[in-house]
Amino acid sequence: MKRFSQLALPYIAWAVMMLLFPMALIALYSLTQQGNSIVSFTFTAEHYVKFFTDPDFLIVLWRSLLIAVKTTIICLLLGYPMAYFISRSSEKAQNYLVLAITIPMWINMLVRTYAWIGLLSEGGLIQRILSVFGLGGSELLYTEGAVLLGMVYNFLPFMVLQINTSLCKMDRSLLEAGADLGANPRQAFLRVTLPMSLPGVINGITLVFLPAVSSFFIPKLLGGGQYFLIGNLIENQFITVGEWNFGSAISMIMAVVMMLLMMAVRQVEQRNSGGKGE
Amino acid sequence: MKREKHSAGKLLMGLALVFFYLPIVYMVVFSFNDGKSLTNFTGFSLRWYQHMMESHTMMESLYTTFSVALIATAVSTVVGTISAIGLSKSRKLVQSLMEQVNNLPMMNPEIVTAIGLMLLFITFRIEKGYVTMLLSHIAFCIPYVMLSVMPKIRSLDPNLADAAMDLGATPWMALRKVIVPQIMPGIISGGLIAFTMSIDDFIISYFVTGGGVKNLSITVYTMSKRVNPSINAISTVVVLIITAVLVLINVAPKLAAKRQEKVELSRKRRVLPLAVCGAAVLAVIVIAGLRQGGSQLPYAGQTLHVYNWGEYTGENILREFEEKTGAKVVMENFDSNEQMYIKVANGEAYDILVPSDYMIQRLIQEGYLQELDHSRLDCMDKLSSAVLGLPYDPDNTYSIPYFWGTVGIVYDTTKVDPGDLEREGFGIFLDTKYRGDIYLYDSERDSFMMALKSLGYSMNTESEEELQEAFEWLVQCVQTMDAEIVTDEIIDNMAQGRKALGLIYSGDASYVMSENEDMGYYLPESGTNIWSDAMVIPANAKNPELAHEFINHVCSYEGAYDNSSFVGYTSANEEVMEELYGPGGEYEGISAYMPRSGNPNDEVFNYNEATRKIVANLWSKVKIAASNAE
Repeated sequence: MKRFSQLALPYIAWAVMMLLFPMALIALYSLTQQGNSIVSFTFTAEHYVKFFTDPDFLIVLWRSLLIAVKTTIICLLLGYPMAYFISRSSEKAQNYLVLAITIPMWINMLVRTYAWIGLLSEGGLIQRILSVFGLGGSELLYTEGAVLLGMVYNFLPFMVLQINTSLCKMDRSLLEAGADLGANPRQAFLRVTLPMSLPGVINGITLVFLPAVSSFFIPKLLGGGQYFLIGNLIENQFITVGEWNFGSAISMIMAVVMMLLMMAVRQVEQRNSGGKGE
Repeated sequence: MKREKHSAGKLLMGLALVFFYLPIVYMVVFSFNDGKSLTNFTGFSLRWYQHMMESHTMMESLYTTFSVALIATAVSTVVGTISAIGLSKSRKLVQSLMEQVNNLPMMNPEIVTAIGLMLLFITFRIEKGYVTMLLSHIAFCIPYVMLSVMPKIRSLDPNLADAAMDLGATPWMALRKVIVPQIMPGIISGGLIAFTMSIDDFIISYFVTGGGVKNLSITVYTMSKRVNPSINAISTVVVLIITAVLVLINVAPKLAAKRQEKVELSRKRRVLPLAVCGAAVLAVIVIAGLRQGGSQLPYAGQTLHVYNWGEYTGENILREFEEKTGAKVVMENFDSNEQMYIKVANGEAYDILVPSDYMIQRLIQEGYLQELDHSRLDCMDKLSSAVLGLPYDPDNTYSIPYFWGTVGIVYDTTKVDPGDLEREGFGIFLDTKYRGDIYLYDSERDSFMMALKSLGYSMNTESEEELQEAFEWLVQCVQTMDAEIVTDEIIDNMAQGRKALGLIYSGDASYVMSENEDMGYYLPESGTNIWSDAMVIPANAKNPELAHEFINHVCSYEGAYDNSSFVGYTSANEEVMEELYGPGGEYEGISAYMPRSGNPNDEVFNYNEATRKIVANLWSKVKIAASNAE
C-alpha cells in the first residue's frame, strides 16, 4: 500500500511550482522596487505605504467590500428560500430544478453578462417593462444597481446549490423527532433545519463573496469606465499603468483581507456546530 | 396555510428561473436580428451568423475554448485522481500541507491567482499563448478534481487494495480494478467541475495568454465595447453545444441504466465516459486537421502577428492580404498605447504594431523597434506629405503612417448651443448645464490634453503645477458633471444620440456623423492634439519580411480605401483621403474627416518619461474620484 504514496510525488512538485511559487512571486514583487531584474533587487515597503496612506485607494477597497457584502446578502435572502423550496420538492422535481439552475452556469459568464447590456440599455426591454409601471426614464446601465444586478445574477446559483446540498443531506427523521417532542414548524425550522444547513450557507457565502470582491469585468461591462473596484484597480496597474510592483502589493492586500474574512466566517461556523453537536 | 407557502415558493422559483434565463433567451432572439440594434428587433436574418463564421477571431476563440477545456479536463481528471490516491497514502503532515496548497486557487481571489501565474511565466521567459493558457487551466482544475475525489477515497475500505494484492493482483491492477471503479462517481463529478471551471474562465486566461490566442471570454470582453450582434450569434452556438452536452450527460446514464439489467453494472459505467472523452478528443483532432490547408502562395503557412487598435481595420483588408500572400494574420487589439507598450516591453513578439506618435518616439528611444527596409516598400509616394517626416520619426526610418486626425468634441446639434462651444471650448465639459449628459474618453494623454488646453497651457507641458491644475480640472469635471468614462462605447452611443457631448477622436466622429446627421464635431480654438498612428516593426518581430508586405498592402489604394471608408479615420493615403472627403465620397463634407491645419495652438505629442508617470498616476486617481462621486 505504501508504494501508492509515490504517485503523489509528481503532483507535489507541480503544485509547488504552479500554485505556491506564483504566490511567492507576487509577494516578492510587492516588496521590491520597480525595474528590478530577478537576480538583483532592492526591498521596499513603499507600495504598501502608498496604498494605506492614500484615502482614495482605501475607499476603493471599502466600496468593493461593500458591494460584495450587498451581493452576498441579496443572494442569501433569495437563495435560501429557493434552496429550501427545491429540497422540499419531489425527487424528480429536485433533479430538474437543480439542472435548470446549473445550465446557465455552464454558459460563459461574460456572455451572460454581455446579454444584460442589451436588456438594460436605453430603450431596452427592462426599461420598457418598468415604464409600463410608470417607473421608466431613469438610466439603468452604467449604474451601481446594474453592477449589483450583474453580480447577483452571476453568483446566485452558487448560493442556491450549496444550501440545497446541505439541506438535502439533512436527516428528515430529525424533524419528525422534533415534531414528536412538540416543536411547532417554526421552532423545528429555527432549531433544526437552519443550524443543520449552516455549512451550506457558509460555503455559499464564500463562493459568492470571494468572486464578488475581486470581479472586474462585471463593473467594467455594466458599470462603465467610471465605476472602479479593487479588481479594476489591479487590472489597471498591470494592463495600462505598468506598475506591477504596486499592483502586486494591492493583490497581496486583497488576498490577506479575504483570508482574514474567510477565517472569521469559518470561526462562526465552528462555534455554531461545536455548540450544537456535542 | 401550507399550500400558500408552497405557492409562494413556486412563485419565487418561477421568477428566479425567468431571471436566470431571460438574458440567455434575449441573446438567442437577438442573434437572429436583422438590424444592428440590441434593443429593437427589426426582422429575422442569419447575417450575424455569417459574420461570425467569417471572423477568424471568433471561430478560433471557440476552438480554443473547447480544446483547452477538453484537454485540461482530461489531464486534470487523470492527474488529480492519481495524485489524490497517492496523497491519501502519504503521511498526515504531507496531506494537510498539500491541502493548504490546493486551497490556494480556490480560496484566493481569482485575479490573484491569475497575476501569480502571469508573473511565473514572465519570470521564466515562457512565451505566453496557448500552452501557458492550457497549463494554467490544468493548474487550477486539479485541486477541484482532488477535492471531489478525496472524500470517496477516504470512505474506501483501506483493506480492499491489500486484499486484492494478497490474491495476486499487481498494485497497478489493484488500482485499476478495485480502487478506481469504487471512486468513479467522485472522478466523474470532479471532471465535470473541472470542465465547467475551464470553459467559464476569463480572469486567469486573460492574464496568462498572448500571441493572439483568445478564448471566448476574452473575445467577448474585447469586443463588448461596440455593438456587435455576432457576439450573440456565437453565444447562441455555445448555448446549443452546452445544452446538448448536458442533455447527453443527464439522459445517457438513464438510458444506459435501463439497458443495464442484462449487462454487468460496473463495465457499462466505465465505457460511457471513456466513449464521450474519446469522441471529444477525436473531434478536436479532426478540427485541428481541417484547419491546416495546403497552398502554393509565397507566404503559405506563415503567420503575421499584428497588434492594433480595436475597430481599426476595414472589413476585407485582412482577408485580402491572406488571399494574396497565403499567410495567416492574427490580430490582437489594444485600447491604449500604454497597454500596448507593456506587452511589447515584456517581450511579447509581434510583427506589426500601430502605436501613436509619442509612443513611437518612446519605442525608438528604448530600442524596441527595427529600422524599416525601404527597398521593400513601395508606398512612400502614395502617402500624404502632412503625415510624413513628423518630429517623432523625421525620416520615417521606423514608421509608416496608418491613420491620422484630431481630438475634438462630438455634440448633438439639437441639444448643444454652438455659442457655448465657441465661448467655452473644452471648458464645456465643466458647464453644469450639460451635467449627466457627457462622455469622457478613457485615455490619460487626451484627457489631460483637454484639461491643459482648456487652461491655456501646452499639452506637452513638463510643469508639475500645470499638470496638477489639469488634474484638478478633471476631478472637478468627474465630480460635478456625472460624466461617463468610456472608450469605444462612445461610438455607437453617440450615433444613437444618447448623450449631448463627448470627447472623441476625429475618425470615430466621422463615423458617428455619417450615421446620425444631428451630430457635429467641434475643435476648440485653444488648440488640440494632431495625432498620427503609424505602423512599426518591433525588433523582436518573427517575420519582418511579411510585415513589410503588410505595410505595402495597407498603404495601397485598395487597402487604404477599405480601412478608411469602413472605420472613418483619415487615411494616410492621399488619393484615398481626397476621394472619401470629396464629392460623392463616403465622408463628403463631414468636417471631422479632414484634420484641421493652420491653428497655431494645435500640437503634436512628445514623449517624456517623467510626465508620463505623473499623468498615468493622476488619471487613475481621476477615475477613482469619478467612482467615489457616484
